[in-house]
Amino acid sequence: MRTKQTAIGAALAALAVLCAMFATTASAAPAWKFEGKALEGTEVILGGALDSALTVPGLTTKCENFLYKLTIKNEAGTGKGEVTEVPLYNCTTNSSACTVKSIKSEALPWASKLTTVSTTNYIVIEGVKVPILYDGEECVLGGVLVTVTGSAGGAIDNTAETATFNASTLTATGTSLKALGQKIEWNGLFPTEAFQWHREQALSVS
Amino acid sequence: MQSNRTRAVATALLAVALAALGLAGSAQAKLVGNYTKFVQCPYPNLEVKKCIYSVTESGEVILGKKTVPIEKQVILQGGFGAAIEEKEGAEFAKFYAATNGITLSKAPQNVPGGLLGIVPDASSPFLVKALIKFFLENSLTGVNSTLELAKPASDIRVSENNLAGEIGTAMQMPVMVHLENPFLGKKCFVGSATNPITWKLGTGTTAPPAPNKAITGSAGEIEFLEEGRILVAKNSKLVDNAWSAPKAAGCGGILSFLVDPIINSQLGTTSAGYNTAILKGTLNVASAAAVRKNNTENP
Repeated sequence: MRTKQTAIGAALAALAVLCAMFATTASAAPAWKFEGKALEGTEVILGGALDSALTVPGLTTKCENFLYKLTIKNEAGTGKGEVTEVPLYNCTTNSSACTVKSIKSEALPWASKLTTVSTTNYIVIEGVKVPILYDGEECVLGGVLVTVTGSAGGAIDNTAETATFNASTLTATGTSLKALGQKIEWNGLFPTEAFQWHREQALSVS
Repeated sequence: MQSNRTRAVATALLAVALAALGLAGSAQAKLVGNYTKFVQCPYPNLEVKKCIYSVTESGEVILGKKTVPIEKQVILQGGFGAAIEEKEGAEFAKFYAATNGITLSKAPQNVPGGLLGIVPDASSPFLVKALIKFFLENSLTGVNSTLELAKPASDIRVSENNLAGEIGTAMQMPVMVHLENPFLGKKCFVGSATNPITWKLGTGTTAPPAPNKAITGSAGEIEFLEEGRILVAKNSKLVDNAWSAPKAAGCGGILSFLVDPIINSQLGTTSAGYNTAILKGTLNVASAAAVRKNNTENP
């Protein structure tokens, strides 16, 4: 009889531990916060990349105006969102032979979510699709449509209120962008500033 | 008078000789550095937009029941124009032959099993058996398989977008397989100009009929040279396993009526789903305008 009670007690204790573990996991998922308070409803982040470049070995493409519109929300305590607009203008290459005839973002909205890897918070953007048409008589890619696809994870800096995308952040989040059949480098620094209801409020992820 | 005439004739001959030398000089390309690979590209033709120099270093061709590994380099060179032909949802460019006429190099590949592998002694008629015995006794048993273009190079089609995007057909080539051995004669082919094997090589994933299964190619590791004027794709893999091949024909000379059926029986079914081409190597592509410029800058 005593043995039976002990077994039930142990089972309940195990269940309690499991519940606690799940609760911890859920609360550990990063959320969007303004002035330290979790975002309720949605907010729009609008901005332009401070610096962004796509590189296939030997050819880098940069856009002077890399704007973006990101709608964010918290769902069950986890930060999520959608990149709804990414207008790209004045794009050039580091090659004297190649120009960018056209570039656009397709398959929008791109889903995004927040995640934590080894104490660092990241925003992961999925379903990225950016076709780039290069031009230039001497450019080997002249007339070729190169489509960048995949997902990208960027590290969030709560102090600077920026998201940084580079080879390390993509590796850390297990994401990759591909073009011409291979992984390409994407370096970008994006400010994370609210534009709608929480203007000029400190945005953080935790 | 005689002296003046002789001098005039000599001068004229000298002028002709110099002109000939001059022409020869202008025909001789003066490409340097990374551009030297494209020496056989018909870049003086302004319709040519890109030059190509593709080296297949390994891979295999499976024809029915026979697998021939690619052990000797095969070079495809020439140029291609603007993509103007719409086909299968992609735009294709016309190919231009290499200036030396060797668009596809003839690299004889060893057929494993040799002569007995394709004309087995046991199942052959007496006459064939006797001939094979002669060839065996004289160590003439090696069989080579050489890939050749079945049609002019202008029948090759290239889709750069499919190549870059790893989808669909990147290069369509009409080819034939030349089986070579003294016993087989000089006209033993699988495929012909009128009935070629059409390879639709791609860098993506194939969708072949059964029993073949999907295989995946690769654009390889891409690097740009000369500030984006040259593209080098190392370890590229072009694949097609949905092609069909006609029966072997012309094998064994006057005995082809006896030998062809034996070879075809050894090859087995060569309809779509039973054949595979996997070409691994390095693909070099350059802008023809950049090659032209390199030529003029280096007289």
